[in-house]
Amino acid sequence: MIDGESRMWKKLSDALGRNEYYLLWLKDAWPYLTGALLLSILQIATMAVAGNPWGISGAITNWGAWTIEALGGSVEHWYYFSSESARAVLDRGILQDPVSIRNFGIIAGALFSVLIASSFKLKKIRTGKQVTAAVLGGLLMGYGMRVALGCNIGAFYSGISVLSLAGWVYGVFLLLGAIVGGKLLVRFFM
Amino acid sequence: MAGIKRHSHPRPRRHRSQIPLGILFGLLVLWIGIRFLRSSPTLAFFWFTGIAFGFVLQKARFCFTASMRDAFLTGRTRLTKAVLVAFAITSVGFWALMFGAHQSGRPIPGMAFVAPLGLHTVAGAFLFGLGMVIAGGCASGTLMRVGEGFTMQIIALLFFIIGSLLGAAHFRWWDVTIIQPAPRVHLPQLFGWFGSIAIQLVIIALLWIAADKYGKARQHAATGRTAQK
Amino acid sequence: MQERVLDCLGEPCPVPLVKAQRALEDLEAGDILIVQIDHSCAMKSLPEWARDAGHNVEIEEIDNGEWEVVIEKS
Repeated sequence: MIDGESRMWKKLSDALGRNEYYLLWLKDAWPYLTGALLLSILQIATMAVAGNPWGISGAITNWGAWTIEALGGSVEHWYYFSSESARAVLDRGILQDPVSIRNFGIIAGALFSVLIASSFKLKKIRTGKQVTAAVLGGLLMGYGMRVALGCNIGAFYSGISVLSLAGWVYGVFLLLGAIVGGKLLVRFFM
Repeated sequence: MAGIKRHSHPRPRRHRSQIPLGILFGLLVLWIGIRFLRSSPTLAFFWFTGIAFGFVLQKARFCFTASMRDAFLTGRTRLTKAVLVAFAITSVGFWALMFGAHQSGRPIPGMAFVAPLGLHTVAGAFLFGLGMVIAGGCASGTLMRVGEGFTMQIIALLFFIIGSLLGAAHFRWWDVTIIQPAPRVHLPQLFGWFGSIAIQLVIIALLWIAADKYGKARQHAATGRTAQK
Repeated sequence: MQERVLDCLGEPCPVPLVKAQRALEDLEAGDILIVQIDHSCAMKSLPEWARDAGHNVEIEEIDNGEWEVVIEKS
């Protein structure tokens, strides 16, 4: 019975794996312009429904606060978390925070995309340099994001798209940072 | 394609289908979404759009880090141009929603994302740009690559959270000294609703042309160099 | 006629592309460069860049999430 079921699964997935629309939509990489168009549609839908565009970073900092509280600490006296709205988000919890849920969705959506394309592989760390790069890069990125009030998505993509001058200035210095980062990467992490 | 004649044999193919696993995971994602739908349609909306954002980012290999990094590092500007196209389309859509709300006297959506502009923007964006290139992905890229199974990005996400906590710990100083006095500049205040979107689209078009010309110039330089050898 | 294999397994973007560009500079027209990668963005960016630069390119998925990009320098 179980054998018959797994044979059926295999037949089904083999047939799907050869289908030309499977190859076009789910297997092969899409053109960048398709991505640009679809991300724009999702952005506009998000703005229309939620009243705010796509953002990621606020939830990332809150994940830190929830971790501190889960470990028995408290962020009550932190200036950053002291506003009533920040406190309300933290009190509702991670599973009631829409932005956190969307971030989990991004992880799950990417995982679904590679699984359905049969391209999932757990990529292990190869060199110590990669650990250093991940630690250093992550710290810089996290600090910069908090200070600049957003990441590539909230402060840059969404910032520019809501016609904010800060979004453009963010972009200029993001580019400068990326150029310096590229030089450091080739020099020290390659 | 005619086929390139290689001497060495390709490594033996060990590719196995993960489609059944993908379908099962898809059903799980759907089930979670339906659970959310029962408790809170808002959460269901954020869950399903998150799935769609992640899926599109991965399928199109859309990487905001590469769009900033690769032009100078490798001379590749295709992604840079695609990001500019996304900015143009999204700008028009947002502009319509904002202008429509303004015309009918409703509160204008998205104004929370018109951020104060000051030294914190300059310093923070520079650090973010530096960090994302070294870490191999920005916020969206890191989340996407965690889903794809990159151990390096799992570490990066961990320290991304820690770094943002450090920023939050110093936030009083940044907020009081720099952010609070900084002005929020919304382009329609400066140029009017129609002027602002027109200027924005012209700037994006000019940047697209610049990226295109730069990419072509780098390509000519590269092929010229090899031809001389 | 030379053939070089470049092992970029486990290397994040943009390392495979930068390494491939350097390796190609040392090769002559007609030589073949095989780049082994497992970074899903590089499987798009590397062949695309190489085609834009005028080389012949083939890509094959060897294992789940592992590709060989075969570049014949022109």
